[in-house]
Amino acid sequence: MTAGDAPGEPVYDTPRDPEAGWADCASWAVSAADTLAIQDRSARDGGVARWEPLGMSVTPVLDAPVLDLRGIDKSFGSVKVLRDVAFTARAGEVTALVGDNGAGKTTLVKCIGGIHAPDAGEYRFAGAPVRIGSPRDAAALGIEVVHQDLALCENLDIVENLFLGRERRRGLALDEDAMEEMARTTLSGLSVRTMGSVRRSVSTLSGGQRQTVAIARAVLWDSRVVVLDEPSAALGVAQTQQVLEIVRRLADRGLAVVLISHNMNDVFAVSDRIAVLYLGRMVAHVRTGDVTHRQIVELVTSGASGDLGLRR
Amino acid sequence: MMRAGPSQEDVRRHNLGTLLRFVHLRGPASRATLAESLGLNRSTIMALTADLTAAGLVREELPRGPGRRAGRPSLVVRPESTRVYVLAFEVGVDRLVIARVGLGGVVLDRREASRTRGSDPAEIVGTLAAGARSLVRKSERDAVCVGAALGFPGTVRRADDAIRFGPNLDIGDLPLGDALSRRLGLGLPVSVCNDANLGALAEHARGAGVGCDNLIYLHGDVGVGGGIIAHGRLLGGDEGYGGEIGHMVVNPGGRPCACGSRGCLEAEVGERTLLAHADRAEAHGQSGRDAVRAVVDAADRGDIVAREALHRVGTWLGFGVANLVNVLNPGLVVFGGTLRDIYLGAAAQIRSVLATGALAAPREKVRLRTAALGDDTTLVGAAEFAFAEVLADPIQVLARLRAPEDSSVH
Repeated sequence: MTAGDAPGEPVYDTPRDPEAGWADCASWAVSAADTLAIQDRSARDGGVARWEPLGMSVTPVLDAPVLDLRGIDKSFGSVKVLRDVAFTARAGEVTALVGDNGAGKTTLVKCIGGIHAPDAGEYRFAGAPVRIGSPRDAAALGIEVVHQDLALCENLDIVENLFLGRERRRGLALDEDAMEEMARTTLSGLSVRTMGSVRRSVSTLSGGQRQTVAIARAVLWDSRVVVLDEPSAALGVAQTQQVLEIVRRLADRGLAVVLISHNMNDVFAVSDRIAVLYLGRMVAHVRTGDVTHRQIVELVTSGASGDLGLRR
Repeated sequence: MMRAGPSQEDVRRHNLGTLLRFVHLRGPASRATLAESLGLNRSTIMALTADLTAAGLVREELPRGPGRRAGRPSLVVRPESTRVYVLAFEVGVDRLVIARVGLGGVVLDRREASRTRGSDPAEIVGTLAAGARSLVRKSERDAVCVGAALGFPGTVRRADDAIRFGPNLDIGDLPLGDALSRRLGLGLPVSVCNDANLGALAEHARGAGVGCDNLIYLHGDVGVGGGIIAHGRLLGGDEGYGGEIGHMVVNPGGRPCACGSRGCLEAEVGERTLLAHADRAEAHGQSGRDAVRAVVDAADRGDIVAREALHRVGTWLGFGVANLVNVLNPGLVVFGGTLRDIYLGAAAQIRSVLATGALAAPREKVRLRTAALGDDTTLVGAAEFAFAEVLADPIQVLARLRAPEDSSVH
């Protein structure tokens, strides 16, 4: 029996019309596939109909990486920090960036976010070379970085923090209603039920809630790439778990997510690919499903593991 | 053999069910969206909606919020959540949950009762019936209950809902569904299903598995249960016992299991084993989810005994998942119940074993996720199961239920 014969998995090559198509239906039972999924006629891969969940905004998953850095060099004075680094991040995937202290993770993130300008190398976004001279340039492309310190203002409420510097206006006044609505939608999209009012001051929020607000601020703007620098560093287990689930959900919604973490469990729990920096060099960029914990630890600490990493 | 084509009436019933299922699972939708998504023309949608509205299953109203488009706005079709509902029951080893769930999947009201392990199982029916009656009393006067289903941690025969085996919650020969149905007196049968099977249905319909038609749901409670969705349907096997992943032997000659065998997945990764590895059996006066979470928490704080326990449990869980990936080639494996915490706490070990233990081809695209419905997977699954009948034939089922004089004759 081929896949197409299976009653639960019909392959529709012609536009679907339940009324006209009934006489041809082999099976009477209404399968979940019939009712839960519809054909996305516009997105076909080589003539094979693609099935997408209903009611979710679906970003087509590109084969090419959204973010593609090649040959990045960076020095601070005489201190060489990054050497010929290549790094990619793909839509719909979590790419974990790991490395020992001082391996260059944060410097690379600052290059991605436009805070540092690389000395050499190529920065490609969605397949085209771009020039990123400032964080504003990166944000304009849809690249958002959530830094370790979160950069939230304690004295402002959640909505004010989310829109700080990018407030919505209606005429001369701020459009508070629209901003509140967007804040609620974004936070509920992250499945945050424990936040309470969006007008709560940030100073009253817990560590996990602050992390969520910082992530919400990053995804509010139709972002395409979100970089999270050690999001669970200062959190307890329950909050870490929630943040990990949010990270995973962002990627499942079609964003390219870059996760920097020291915790191998967190990395293996949510990542699709792992990029390992060792002394300023990218020694491995592998699929998480193909490697073991031991291999990644060896790559982080010695730059090589078996046939992965640096040649000796 | 050729079979006769469907009659007009069959087509209409199918379309009514499809439309109702769409707004039930995806939420309110405009007529225009329905027409586009279901592949029906707008006049058909209008006729179907009129039928469903007359039956009291949906209502139509103008879209809320400011409309930006020019022209007459398309009416929005909403499920009648407060008027059409089901009763969902979850029987756990440590807790009993009852919910009144409205069409559209809205939990309208719920009751939770904790249960002490080893207490008389005969009390379960009384507690559930009392809770359910209080939920029904609080419903609106014209609301109608269209189904009831119960999730149970044991193997259940599909033909008669008989519970054949419940190692962690033994209720003997008690016909739970019939007894509960009689006590409720709503003139409705109460279906009984395996809890993890319901969890699989729930995650597939409303959780992490939306859009994925080949998935495996693994549920950790005291034991370990499983549900397999293949081609969009629950894999029940010949008699409905399918999906007992907890009793797949992963470690021949390993720890004894409550089922009588040794080295079952449940025996190697279940709650008792994790607590025994972590030297916490009975000691901290905790059991159930709290105890498992306490081990994960301790491991995160650096407790080496807890870390070692999670590592060992993660190894066996990894072997279990590797076997499942090789045999069934799922697109998605969902970890729910206490296995969510164990997955997040031992992911490095689980995925390392998977990377070395599973074939490269089926391993390549499998996604590992935690349950999006949290602790309510069984409950949501029970509700979805209870809605199945009305979604298959909305008008007939409603007509039957709204005329209690005829249906109460047994």
